Amino acid sequence: MSEFLGYEREDGSIGIRNHVAIISTAPYANDTVKRAADIVENAVPITHPLGRCQTKPDVFQTYRTLLGYGTHPNVYGTVVVAHAGEIVDGDELAEDVAETGRPSESVNIHREKGVMNGLKTTVNAAKDMVQEASNQNRVRADMSNLTFGINCATSDTTSGLCQHKATAKAVWRLIDEHGGRGCFAETPEFFGGENELSERAVNDEVRQEILDRVENWNQRLQATGYDVRGAQPTPDNMDGGLTTIEEKSLGALVKSGDGPIQDIIDYGAKIPDESGMYIMDTPGHGAESVTGIGAGGAHFMVISTGQGHTLSNAIMPTIKITGNPGSAERVPEQTDVDVSEALVGDETFDWAGEQLWDEISDVVNGKLTMSEAMGESQFAIHRIGPST
Amino acid sequence: MPDRYLEVVEPEDNVATALRELEAGETVTVGVGDTERTVEVSDDVQFGHKIAIEDIAAGETITKYGKSIGNATEDISAGTWVHVHNVESNYGRGDLADETETAAVSE
Repeated sequence: MSEFLGYEREDGSIGIRNHVAIISTAPYANDTVKRAADIVENAVPITHPLGRCQTKPDVFQTYRTLLGYGTHPNVYGTVVVAHAGEIVDGDELAEDVAETGRPSESVNIHREKGVMNGLKTTVNAAKDMVQEASNQNRVRADMSNLTFGINCATSDTTSGLCQHKATAKAVWRLIDEHGGRGCFAETPEFFGGENELSERAVNDEVRQEILDRVENWNQRLQATGYDVRGAQPTPDNMDGGLTTIEEKSLGALVKSGDGPIQDIIDYGAKIPDESGMYIMDTPGHGAESVTGIGAGGAHFMVISTGQGHTLSNAIMPTIKITGNPGSAERVPEQTDVDVSEALVGDETFDWAGEQLWDEISDVVNGKLTMSEAMGESQFAIHRIGPST
Repeated sequence: MPDRYLEVVEPEDNVATALRELEAGETVTVGVGDTERTVEVSDDVQFGHKIAIEDIAAGETITKYGKSIGNATEDISAGTWVHVHNVESNYGRGDLADETETAAVSE
């Protein structure tokens, strides 16, 4: 596979899905967004508790994340729903989405004189977009367009020994053979492996930036005054045999392979167009890190899990891979690819990488992932500081 | 023949990961680089958990992937289950942080 069938956007990006996003700018628009998405077939609701009473760094991060979804390659068009005059401005967000050539509408519940009219306007706008989107055909596109998101979830000791190796093989195949991009995240999960990771940076500036960001997370955690053990590794990690955050980190880093790191970018920032591997600076909290990578524009996400996990994203299809032979049996709906035969059977890690690559090829061309078929999706923007 | 269900990632590691359930009292042979080591398992160990493959004194480094994953909080003899009850991390320990150092840290 060197080509795939995708959806062309006016801004030059190519999507693997053709979603219509209904995006809330504040908690008080969430219900309208959810109700509209219940009514309109194939509309994706994006709701969250933020966008109001936040300090500037958080406002910027929330806005950037929401804009990343409105302008995601997999998004055909966007309806932004605001409650009133929010600190995340709905009209501004809709205008910024429209700049990429996508259909974009702004609905304001106060301006509409309440939720009933607001809902009606939102439904009508989303319905028109969904119908237009359904009339767009897939076209042949080069795989160099694709960005591969990587995350782990409910890791256990099999993660670093098996499934992360398959993920690393697949992502480097996209980068080295096809000129695509990869992006992994979860900075606090570099603890204990940060020196070796930083040595992979393409230059000294990026190397130092990786170390600085790891230290910043260590200081943020220490500033809480609490022992982070119990939060990291998580209870499910510990059930699966992981003992410390260092052990979790050293395993987690296996999924990034050993090739060069081009840059480390801010939470929710756009992943650069140039081919290569990038890091996004996110917490290890899976829903937050995956939400950030989605905002960065990754087309699909491979979630490499030990014990099995529901973690998924509605805009960026998530493929779950495990190498724990018990997990595929325990949580079959959370397992797209089972490569445990490479760990406890007679198969090789090259075979495991092939299994994942084949699944990616299918999903990129339209096959629904388990979580898409099940309608599973979580959305959580990382917040930096307190509300005001 | 080393037990293929006990994995030592790097030769300098002092723990092995069990890829099957282990029973207290069984004797296992572990492949460590090009050599082998035989230890008697002293605890029942779940799939995915670790055992020490050498004696580790309290305060010494637990090594996996060839790197530190924390320190032993008590003497751990070869064959013992190694987990959160006898190892502690060296990261994110706000409870140990000096107040004057962390007071200046904010986002």
